[in-house]
Amino acid sequence: MPKAALPPLEKVDPNEAWKPWEPDNNQPWDLKWAGHLYRRAAFGAALPELHDAVKRGLPATLERLFQGQAPTNDNFADTRRTSGLNGGRNAFDLRGWWVYWMLKGAHPLREKLTLFWHNHFATSIVKVQKPRAMFEQNELMYRHAAGKFAPFLLAMSKDPAMLVWLDSNSNVKGKPNENFAREVMELFSLGVGNYTEKDVREAARAFTGWHTDGERFTFKQNLHDGDSKTVLGQSGNWNGDDVLRILLEQSAASRFLVRKFYRFYVSEEAPPDHFIQPLAEAFKKSDYDTAALLKTILQSRHFYSAYAYRQRIKSPVEYCLCAGHQVGQNLLTPRALVGRLEAMGQQLFAPPNVKGWEYGKSWLNTSTVLARHNFAQAITSGKTEINAEDPEARIAIAIDAAALVRKAQLTEPKPTVAFLLDTLVDGEVSPSAREKLIEYLADGKPEGDARDTRVREVVHAIMTMPEYQLN
Amino acid sequence: MLTRRQFLTRSLQGASLLSVGTVVPEFLVNTALAAEAGKDNILVVLEMAGGNDGLNTVIPHADDVYHKMRPTLRYTKDQVVKVDDSIGLHPSLRGLGGLLEKGQLAIVQGVGYPNPDRSHFESMDIWQSGEVGRKLSGTGWLARGVDNLKDGKGGIPAMQVGPEKLPLALQGASGGVLSFNNKHQYRLNLAGTEEGRVPARKKLLDDLARLEPGDKGGLQQFVQRRQLQTYSHLEKLEEILREGANNNEFEFIDGQFQRGFGLNSRLQLVARLITKGFGTRIFYVALDGFDTHSGQMEEHKKLLGLLDTAVTNFFNLLAPGGHDKRTVLMTFSEFGRRVGENGSKGTDHGSGSSLFVAGPAVKAGLVGKHPSLNDLDAGDLKFHTDFRRVYATLLDQWLGCDSKAVLGGEFEAMELLNGKA
Repeated sequence: MPKAALPPLEKVDPNEAWKPWEPDNNQPWDLKWAGHLYRRAAFGAALPELHDAVKRGLPATLERLFQGQAPTNDNFADTRRTSGLNGGRNAFDLRGWWVYWMLKGAHPLREKLTLFWHNHFATSIVKVQKPRAMFEQNELMYRHAAGKFAPFLLAMSKDPAMLVWLDSNSNVKGKPNENFAREVMELFSLGVGNYTEKDVREAARAFTGWHTDGERFTFKQNLHDGDSKTVLGQSGNWNGDDVLRILLEQSAASRFLVRKFYRFYVSEEAPPDHFIQPLAEAFKKSDYDTAALLKTILQSRHFYSAYAYRQRIKSPVEYCLCAGHQVGQNLLTPRALVGRLEAMGQQLFAPPNVKGWEYGKSWLNTSTVLARHNFAQAITSGKTEINAEDPEARIAIAIDAAALVRKAQLTEPKPTVAFLLDTLVDGEVSPSAREKLIEYLADGKPEGDARDTRVREVVHAIMTMPEYQLN
Repeated sequence: MLTRRQFLTRSLQGASLLSVGTVVPEFLVNTALAAEAGKDNILVVLEMAGGNDGLNTVIPHADDVYHKMRPTLRYTKDQVVKVDDSIGLHPSLRGLGGLLEKGQLAIVQGVGYPNPDRSHFESMDIWQSGEVGRKLSGTGWLARGVDNLKDGKGGIPAMQVGPEKLPLALQGASGGVLSFNNKHQYRLNLAGTEEGRVPARKKLLDDLARLEPGDKGGLQQFVQRRQLQTYSHLEKLEEILREGANNNEFEFIDGQFQRGFGLNSRLQLVARLITKGFGTRIFYVALDGFDTHSGQMEEHKKLLGLLDTAVTNFFNLLAPGGHDKRTVLMTFSEFGRRVGENGSKGTDHGSGSSLFVAGPAVKAGLVGKHPSLNDLDAGDLKFHTDFRRVYATLLDQWLGCDSKAVLGGEFEAMELLNGKA
């Protein structure tokens, strides 16, 4: 059923919608929903993996995603941390390192959450300057990604990159710098409208003396304002820890955070308040347990409905990594994606500002649409590309989409197109689109190399389809 | 790699997809109207992102309070570019001073809105949406202006030039808004296509983007519109860029800008598009970095210097064919800074500020009084001119729009343009 045929969420009972989905013969757990889950919870998957997931069933598939899996590259013995310490010398290397772990790492669900948090606590290397500090922040986010939010927020408030990013060193007794105090309320916990300008000023005083030497958190007692402050109605000689506690005592906090999760994991369309209320209440009650919240979302009836299916625009990371998984990520050099992501508007470790990337419709404009099309061309062509701007990287995209079809031993146009559509878009396109693709592949009955070329062109064409831009 | 000539030949072979004016299917009808090329007034909006320190841009150099509140950041009477006995421009703004002398610069003082928000994002959203104190519609004032343009046909009515994402000011138009930057190729790469099959391949992409979506008005339809818009504008742009590059106005080779693409180059390209009659009515460029919480002196000087050079060059490029007469450039920033400097030789978020409106068409000089430094609102300047009055004036008198429809209310016109109001 298309989304337009469904009632508006205002009229939907949230308690029913957030119940675990139990597939049946009428609405089976199939390729469509497995593809949907893998794209949202992780970064997509190759067709054989999706077929396995369908066989395994939804509960076991979720279990597996939450637990993580063995690294897919047998030759890679390093851990996330050691490889970053060894390899993350500059911004480019750092980006390549993270793309590697998102694409090939042992725990894609956790990497996806880390990407969520990178946007939530958006910090940019453009100001922080130190790749090492950005790497440590990423590791911190990865560690806390699926944990409880309170200790995470505290750790982020003392994270050196964050302290540099929001000018904490100039926040001193008598001359408070309000930057961090404002953003921790506006963007990290409560959202606009749930605090006053006075709360910002008072909270800034509580964070005075929370400094960094660039490598670690330092507390400067003599620069700390130890006098009484009143934040959100509570008065006392508060320090930063107290303010964070007060923030998370507000009911606005769970609602604000759940909304952000909803937008990232479910739909671009903002839900009405009542619809997320049960999630917000449970999240607060669970001490802000991220894993529990995410599990509720990813197993819900609502998640497996037209309210969620293709109701987001793929971010550049999702676009590139999904394509990589589908046509053969083991052949893809992660560093090759760094420049492509930037061209599509998502330069990792450099969100545009402290609010993070806009997401949604703003991903697509003339230049980014074209960048997506041209990436699709590169990833399907079977040609090697050298990155001229970074001779050290010598990166290549050496994937031949035609090899997929040869391997599947398909020769007839109709099953070939069916196979490619299953691989790339859960087989979910209109009959007329399918028809056009079959016609194109069959035109003039190409054989041998000519047919391989034609197959690559069809894969490219599918990757340019509007459906493929959606998640 | 293809030579430019080969590329040209190949592009032309496959022009069916990328040519302008392809028939758009009923469900994708694009209601935006654009100007008759080369004839109509043009508005260039220059965003100074981060919250420009208005007090150190338009400087009340004769005011003792200013010198007291800005012990390390102040400029003296001898340093500023003199406007009158009490006001001067930042020393970096000598070019703008020249425009003022020629009668081509209006300095609008005390601009703001009630209950100012000091969050970059909230305040920037307010300026860009033109919506104050009500639920934001998620659309920009220029985008709504685009949909309200009366005359013209075809083309791209509004364009953002720069590496940033499409700003809110230009979001939500029903079509014809393009964003343009340096890093990305402006052609569709279809290398390796079988001999002679490029047109068929382009047609396939075009067909797939035109099929009727299952969910009308949904995301898929949005993506379709964005794609077709992309295809149809590329070729036309390429043509103008090739001409510019051949004239060595900028280095644009094989679909990419070479070297940097700073504010100066961006405005140079805008000038090229204007003089070539590209037909775009609204251009948007941004200069970021004005969030000067610490060590403001050098940084602010540098930024205003960049702005000064770029704007001065821009009008010089437009002058020969008289194109400057149909071009107005307006600056804005999301807010000003607090009057008193902070402990890190910087300034924190404040409210109210000044803005510039430039071009031969403007009524030059100071517009409105400098807000008093003795009558502050919790350490901030008080505004006296709602920024939407500036918008309304430019929409009605310059772009020929209906500002009431665009801004959702009536705002008193200002004396900003020659022979108007």
